[in-house]
Amino acid sequence: MAALSTDVLVVGGGATGAGVAWDAALRGLQVVLADRADLCEGTSGRFHGLLHSGGRYVVKDPRAAEECIAENRILREVAADCIEDTGGLFVTTPSDDPAYADRFAEGCRATGVDCEEVEPAEVLREEPRLHPGISRAFRVPDANIDAWKTVWALARGANERSGARILPYHAAVDIHRRGDRVTGARLRDVRTGEELDVEARVTVNATGAWAGKVADMAGLEGVQVLPGRGIMIAMNHRLVDTVVNRCQMPTDGDILVPIRTVSVMGTTDVHTDDPDDQTVAQEEVDAMLEDGEKLVPGFRQARALRVWTGVRPLFQDAKEDVASTRDVTRAHTLLDHAERDGVGGFVTITGGKLTTFRLMAEETVDAVCRQLGENRPCTTATERLPGSEAGEHYQLGERLARREDRLRDDQLVCECELITRNKLEESMRRRGTDNLDDFRRALRLGMGPCQGGFCMYRATGIMHSIDGLTAEQANDALLHFLQERWKGVWPILYGDQLRQARLDDWIFQGVLDVGHLER
Amino acid sequence: MRPSLGYDVAVVGAGVAGLTAATRMAESGARVVVLAKGVGSTHLAAGTVDVLGYDPDRVSSPARSLPAFVAARPDHPYSLLGVDAITLALDWFAERIERGPQPGYRYVGDLERNYLLPTAVGAARPSALVPETMAEGALGGGRPICVVGVRVLREFHPTLCAANIARMGVAARGVEVKIDVDRPELNALGLARRFDDPVFRRDFAARLAPSLEGDERVGLPAVLGLRDPHAAWSDLQDRLGRPVFEIPTPPPSVPGMRLFDALRAALRAAGGRLVMGTRVMGAEREGARVTALRVDTAGRETTFGARCVVLATGGFASGGLALGSDWVVRETVLGLPLRGVPTAGSPRFGAEYFGEQPMARAGVAVEPSQRAEQTENVFVAGAALPGAEPWREGSGEGISLTSGHRAAELVLASDGLAAAA
Repeated sequence: MAALSTDVLVVGGGATGAGVAWDAALRGLQVVLADRADLCEGTSGRFHGLLHSGGRYVVKDPRAAEECIAENRILREVAADCIEDTGGLFVTTPSDDPAYADRFAEGCRATGVDCEEVEPAEVLREEPRLHPGISRAFRVPDANIDAWKTVWALARGANERSGARILPYHAAVDIHRRGDRVTGARLRDVRTGEELDVEARVTVNATGAWAGKVADMAGLEGVQVLPGRGIMIAMNHRLVDTVVNRCQMPTDGDILVPIRTVSVMGTTDVHTDDPDDQTVAQEEVDAMLEDGEKLVPGFRQARALRVWTGVRPLFQDAKEDVASTRDVTRAHTLLDHAERDGVGGFVTITGGKLTTFRLMAEETVDAVCRQLGENRPCTTATERLPGSEAGEHYQLGERLARREDRLRDDQLVCECELITRNKLEESMRRRGTDNLDDFRRALRLGMGPCQGGFCMYRATGIMHSIDGLTAEQANDALLHFLQERWKGVWPILYGDQLRQARLDDWIFQGVLDVGHLER
Repeated sequence: MRPSLGYDVAVVGAGVAGLTAATRMAESGARVVVLAKGVGSTHLAAGTVDVLGYDPDRVSSPARSLPAFVAARPDHPYSLLGVDAITLALDWFAERIERGPQPGYRYVGDLERNYLLPTAVGAARPSALVPETMAEGALGGGRPICVVGVRVLREFHPTLCAANIARMGVAARGVEVKIDVDRPELNALGLARRFDDPVFRRDFAARLAPSLEGDERVGLPAVLGLRDPHAAWSDLQDRLGRPVFEIPTPPPSVPGMRLFDALRAALRAAGGRLVMGTRVMGAEREGARVTALRVDTAGRETTFGARCVVLATGGFASGGLALGSDWVVRETVLGLPLRGVPTAGSPRFGAEYFGEQPMARAGVAVEPSQRAEQTENVFVAGAALPGAEPWREGSGEGISLTSGHRAAELVLASDGLAAAA
């Protein structure tokens, strides 16, 4: 069996794990980052895309609000290219308790979240689709953040700075324990079945909602993470250009986030026992559409593109009774198992939210350094990520501008997301994966209105010709993508999106007859 | 509002079903107008006539499999239409194409056996009637195949296509030919126009010939000419000295456009009228009779009076049916009663993409006469009929063609038209 040794093994390739890898790499530590699937395939890639200002928590959870606004300011500097500065609004709709607005304004003052009350008429001029009955409105520095881009920038940065090994599709199948020390883990490449033993001075469990399962593997009991499942619906248009929150206590369906070419409505909160539970209930979809109507009248007539579920990792103190997952703290939890269980070489970080991933990583690597007995200061608050060196925010329309400069040079593979053939081929060669869904996350391939109807045959053909895949592998890649896409569309198929889905069926099942490829 | 325009029949929809019904009625002397939002199914589909491809295993002879298929599915359109009607419709269709504006271009095949032709991904798709330009691609033995693509055409990937063909026991390989074009991409229609040009063909054949081996036959994307495809195809066969066949591409479908052009020409030759870019906004009624359609044409409302209406608007893909976010299904033109719609609370779709999709079978409720329920003079043809899963069964064109062909006869014999005569 292959083996390697490192200073830090990070299990879990979401924003937190990748953040830990980047932080540790900047502090000069050797790092291996492993995920059972693609990087950012779990919770980090399954949220609404909001970079919190903290406004959402100013009344309910002031500590979380303070963390958010501090991290918001830092990320705007160090991860500028991953962020679109849309700004945010909290608006009191006719469905909201009008008394909350004053508490909200007071909460912002108390927690230091920048907040300016504006005239509803002014807001309606800027965002004419919003409910005309808005009575109060507050501007806050919400923004959107592209999690896939962020996580890959973190991983790439870690690799560039200290040669970090990035291992997607490597599941931890065993945590090595020698007496009162964790000494690393056995990883299995889920694509090939090959195993790899990683010996690490410290192992970081950054698996979010799965943290309890990984801690169990290390023989450490009582790490309880309560997964809270929420659905999000991406609408085919930027119904708003500013993040819009309902000005009320946090609840279901209270936010609409414009990101890239879509806007994302979120979210629900249902307790689940299984973090891999990706159920989308009909009632949840209906409730979300209803909530959309309260913010943007006519929301139900707009085209829904895709629905997905994310599981929040909410750490639970086993001694307390918790009725609803929304009442569990959104703040993160760091478990230094040397202090907690007397087992060295192992640290668990869970809970929290994407906006605070950097802070979580900093605290985690501080704990790692304590365990190593080394004094290495954190620099992630000032070091810019690869791609963000210029400190300029992403602008909607960047891709179109680049494309227009080179219209005659290269063919488009995906019209919806303006992905060129050279870009796709370069990504395919670099990533060395034959999972088309990975390119969806990396390039937004197949994310537009046609949901891959036109680009997926092209992408499969291109991948087959450059990657030396067998026909079976290429077919599997295409069929896998079609199933993954279907998972995200069938619960919200109505209106034009149903029409689109049937057109796609026409192409794949009719013209190409992929359902009857020789198996 | 402009004064009413009076027709015997107004056909809504210009896909295979609508054009077939309209042409046949016009040929019988009826005054017919086809109202269509845009082009229909033809430009999306492969251009073949698929009657029954899967039941659920691959069907080798529709004639042999249809009786049992129909007996097991009383709600299927073929049960309504009857198997004999299919043969009549296919014969009628093949004749119209031969008489069409593309000299020498014709369809071959019948219900006795399905052609098994490769798709652009290299799957074997069963079709009853196919353009002659595709027929040499029949799988199941035969000469080895060289699948040829051009990089500018994104809808065709020869190596993947060939690799899948090879898995079915037919030797196949893919090659790419470089052609001189001044742009990085060209769609099937753009390429077809170039293949109409003999100079382009000569140059193409000269570039391709050196890479062909042994007794290979040549599979090309279905782009061999739009105006005169028979000439383009014959010319390439002569120049290469070997059989050449077309493989359908994802849209836009050149064979579908040829089919559309041929049916439109037949309609016009018979005195029928086709009005594109129209959307039917509503109807005028007397009791259960529709007497006129109110139509939005170029932003202006016009009324088309008609004694009968043929609804050939297709299913969800074509916009003939729509599912609202309230989860209610509606027939979009006249609000007709439906059949086969999953009841509230039961699944509309399944979680497996290739699994059962109950909503796919929804359609307009009709009498055996193809007359829509609760109407006296509205007839339904094509994918708007309930009970079928065209792509999964490989039955789309068979249903559209047969139901359009048969609707013409039923309309002509109906009270609505007899009263007018």
